Amino acid sequence: MTLAAEARARGIPWWLKRHETVLAIILMIALIGLGASNERFLTLDNLLNQGRLMTEIGLIALPMTFVIITGGIDLSVGAVVGLCAIMLGYSWKNIGLPLPVAIAFAFAVGGFAGFVNGLVITRIKVPPLIMTIATLALYRGLAEGISQAHSVRGYPEWFYVLGQGDVLGVPTQLVVLVILVVVAGVALDRTTFGRTLYAIGANETAARFSALPVDRVKLIVYTLSGLASGLAAIVLVSRVTTTRMDMGMGYELDVIAAVVLGGASIFGGSGTIWGTAIGLAMIQLLKNGLALTGVKGDATIVVIGVALILSVLIASSLQRRRD
Amino acid sequence: MSAPPYTDLASDPTAPLLEVRDIEKTFPGVRALSGVSFEVRAGEVHALLGENGAGKSTLIKIISGVYEPDGGSILIGGRETRFTSPEDAKRAGVATIYQELLLFPELTVAENIFLGHAPRAGMGRIDWRAMRARAEALLDSLEIDDLAANQVVGALSVGNRQRVEILRALSHDARILIMDEPTAALTESDVTRLFDIVRRLRARGVGIVYISHRLDEIFAIGDRVTVLRDGAYVGARNVADTNASELVQMMVGRRIDNLFPKTVVPIGAPVLEARNIVRHPMTKGVSLSVCAGEIVGLAGLVGSGRSELAQTLFGITPAESGEIRLMGQGVTIRSAESARAKGIAYVPEDRGVQGLVRPMSVLHNFSLAALGALSRAGFIDRDAERRMAEEGIQRFRVKTSSIDEIVGRLSGGNQQKIVLGKWLANNPKLLILDEPTRGIDVGAKSEIHRLMSELAGVGVAILMISSELPEVLGMSDRVLVMREGRLVAEFDRAHATSEAVGAAMMGEASSMERAA
Amino acid sequence: MSAAAIAGAARAQSGGLRRFASQEALLALAVIGLAVIVGFVNPRFLATRNLSDLLLGNAYIAVAAIGMSMVIISGNIDISVGALIGVLATISGSLAVAGAPILVTWLAPLILGVAVMAAQGAVVAYLRIPAIVLTLGMLSILKGGLISVTGGKWITDLPQNFHLADLAVLDVPMPVVIMVLATALAAFWMRYSASGRAIYATGGNAEAARLCGVNPQRTVVMVFALHGFFAGIATLVYATQLRVIQSTTPPGLELTVITASVVGGVSILGGVGTVVGSTLAAILIAEITSALVFVNVSPYWTDALRGGLILATVIADILRRQRRAARGWSK
Repeated sequence: MTLAAEARARGIPWWLKRHETVLAIILMIALIGLGASNERFLTLDNLLNQGRLMTEIGLIALPMTFVIITGGIDLSVGAVVGLCAIMLGYSWKNIGLPLPVAIAFAFAVGGFAGFVNGLVITRIKVPPLIMTIATLALYRGLAEGISQAHSVRGYPEWFYVLGQGDVLGVPTQLVVLVILVVVAGVALDRTTFGRTLYAIGANETAARFSALPVDRVKLIVYTLSGLASGLAAIVLVSRVTTTRMDMGMGYELDVIAAVVLGGASIFGGSGTIWGTAIGLAMIQLLKNGLALTGVKGDATIVVIGVALILSVLIASSLQRRRD
Repeated sequence: MSAPPYTDLASDPTAPLLEVRDIEKTFPGVRALSGVSFEVRAGEVHALLGENGAGKSTLIKIISGVYEPDGGSILIGGRETRFTSPEDAKRAGVATIYQELLLFPELTVAENIFLGHAPRAGMGRIDWRAMRARAEALLDSLEIDDLAANQVVGALSVGNRQRVEILRALSHDARILIMDEPTAALTESDVTRLFDIVRRLRARGVGIVYISHRLDEIFAIGDRVTVLRDGAYVGARNVADTNASELVQMMVGRRIDNLFPKTVVPIGAPVLEARNIVRHPMTKGVSLSVCAGEIVGLAGLVGSGRSELAQTLFGITPAESGEIRLMGQGVTIRSAESARAKGIAYVPEDRGVQGLVRPMSVLHNFSLAALGALSRAGFIDRDAERRMAEEGIQRFRVKTSSIDEIVGRLSGGNQQKIVLGKWLANNPKLLILDEPTRGIDVGAKSEIHRLMSELAGVGVAILMISSELPEVLGMSDRVLVMREGRLVAEFDRAHATSEAVGAAMMGEASSMERAA
Repeated sequence: MSAAAIAGAARAQSGGLRRFASQEALLALAVIGLAVIVGFVNPRFLATRNLSDLLLGNAYIAVAAIGMSMVIISGNIDISVGALIGVLATISGSLAVAGAPILVTWLAPLILGVAVMAAQGAVVAYLRIPAIVLTLGMLSILKGGLISVTGGKWITDLPQNFHLADLAVLDVPMPVVIMVLATALAAFWMRYSASGRAIYATGGNAEAARLCGVNPQRTVVMVFALHGFFAGIATLVYATQLRVIQSTTPPGLELTVITASVVGGVSILGGVGTVVGSTLAAILIAEITSALVFVNVSPYWTDALRGGLILATVIADILRRQRRAARGWSK
């Protein structure tokens, strides 16, 4: 936001100076580069497939952007995905709920998990970092305990449309993601809710003294984080056709990396959904590129880890130069 | 460069432990100290007296090396020195005991006293026995026998913690001890013990700078007293040769200049009626009322609970008991949101931390309290927002290159206008101002006062908290005085004089005896 | 000293001791109490074999918790230690299989542990990167790096003399000896040395600590370096008990270690806690895990219990701090 203001103040077209533009340019270059080095890359098939694969992380990255803008963090998202996946399978298979109800239930569990985070953070004032590490442990543990390590399979065919089907040639979940990206982006840029998020992150005290509903808004973003994790779980189960208790492991790394890469400051007060979307694309690109060059799945988390650390280091040194 | 003004006092010919001459200190937009001189002699308790904003804390920070003066000199034992850091001052023997005690709750008494300079026993290991022995020796020297060297500080009472801080200062061989409002949080018996310690230290030759606004204490323990006002030196007296009214007069008496265009405005019906407002720990049962078109000034010293009262009325720290009526209707104010919805606005004391979001633009700060009004179905009407901000900077004459400028870059006066403007966008019925002109230049001050009069003219009820008596006396239709969480006096405009209000703020009758 | 002072000192001694001992005493009581209760329900729990397996198998967690406690007390956190231990164990085992001198295989984890952690500490202290983000990234680098380099291959055929853990001192198995010794030395150091106290000062109030001559940045680097050292020792205790080293990260290890620290009395806001507490808590947690099996609760509930424990402890700690702040402390 600061850059845009500075730019406008100096008469430079605003879109040139925003860091999203820089990121988008880097993304373009990377796309072209990867496409040049590997013929399988720039095919529509591959790109759409990548879009399909990045949805789960993408869905969670949207409210995570909100959370990080307010200066908080949510490390429990991966565990909530696992818990919701388990609840989906358990309530359908063991309790016998009709699948649509089970799906709604899993979604609600996610929201509740996020709500608990938000409640303790705003009422008892446990710092978000600590609270979500604790719930990370708890929710993952609950997933293990409830599932007893049993997987659930055999969902009806129609369920797989979400995770494996297409809408007019575009993967279903990608359509959902794009819609939600637009909704989230507009909400952040143009609503009072979005403005309040930035205020909280930049100066929470002043936000309170300006009569903004700080606690309520924080509660909402953590609940949204839980809901997004629930939705991601449903998409994931639909895509891989099974429910396992270790689902969502490590998601928090990818999600936070996407948000930070997208330009949000880890300390709060800045960041956009569009930036996160680009960050998300870059991470998926990285994964795809590595896979295409024969690097195995596990090594990609090394690269993501490096990317996360580098982007925080760069952001921090730029900030220091500006001060 | 005038000669030190205290040569007329009974004095002893040896050089003072510490002396500052003609100190000048300016902060952006504010002249904190100008031409201030002060000295402390060995074996004396020299009290420093003044209203808030008189410059006491700036002077102290200069003496303890936190700030460097822009002009003037510092002399230790007659020799001119410079303190470039708190460590320099510490090494010269200056120790400060602040109101907010800097202790570590998990460490013991001895560890807190010697943190950073514990006696070592080879290879960097702490010589625990030596440390404990020295701590016990310090405890003994002040005859403190209810504290042990290896007690953990976290569980100690405030009085005991303060004693640990004093011992810490002594462990550095402090020859000049500065105590900033030391009795603010103490019980009566702790105060007695404190005075005991102060007398002991005085007998040992330590020079003590004692900052307090409690005249009774100054008469009980002080040898000399220096009064500051508006950053300038007013005078120094031997405590034995003066009395309370003279000191009060020195502190608050001044010409009331005609800076403030106070227009007489018809006073309407009560907008706010508050009865017996209680909120732990600072508001102990306050009742007041403010009418439409009226400006009520709320005077008092730091710590009297005025801001706390304002924040309770505004819903940030809701009242625990008591009644509030707005426009005759009983209301409960449980949050700032509900206060705003009911037409209350609060311009806070600390504009940088509470009033503005500094990294955000003028535009976004202006609209921050009025987002609801500027939006439909949650969507902010950007054009309306820009219009409001443009109009705002016109109306309040905010000097900024554009409304997209980062607010943190503006001057204090302009920032204050934005905070005010942001709240006025809501057309409040009750406007609570907390130190509205603190730290801003004269021109901006005057504009804000003009604005206040305008607002009163259209029927806004204004409650103004201020530590600047001229402002309070010049602007208010009625003056209320708060002390220690309660309202202790009320004056109407005709009877509000600086002496009367000042005396009510200090809280004592005219007879003051010096204790033996 | 006057009689009153002596009386005061005696009171303070017991008062001070009482404060320090309360959390630890509670934990010790819990360890014993739980053993009694579970033994009542299922006497096989108290079999020597079971208890000794319990201690031996989990001693490494207590050791790792020593370093973690120090990091948290200093006001930071680290979630990469589990991955680090996995990497160090693999390196140690690989060196042993490759025929390196045994001393080298034992020292390598210590040195590397210190190096990796000290580097992280320096970045946190001097580059102001929040510890959580840095260690999150590091965790992935270590974890992913381990798998991609080794392919998850198992290390077998470890030479006989690799197994440090099989040794005993006066009939007490080495893991227990190391755990007790490390805890005692660390506790002593934190209580009585200047640098040890500096950790508490930095975590309690870094600015005030600086005004007292403590260098917060150097303290943070030192703390992380020590954390790496104890991670190295934990690796030794862990790896040298195994016949086969799987080149993977023990899952959830960092969470268990953090839980041990927090349940052991270390406040997540910094400045409070002891390593004796975290060791006792580590034992308690291991005991609970084992107890669940003996009372026929599925072991899959262990992690949920651990999560619940850490959540409850953290909330209690924050509430306690708020009550104390109400009494006049600024933090």
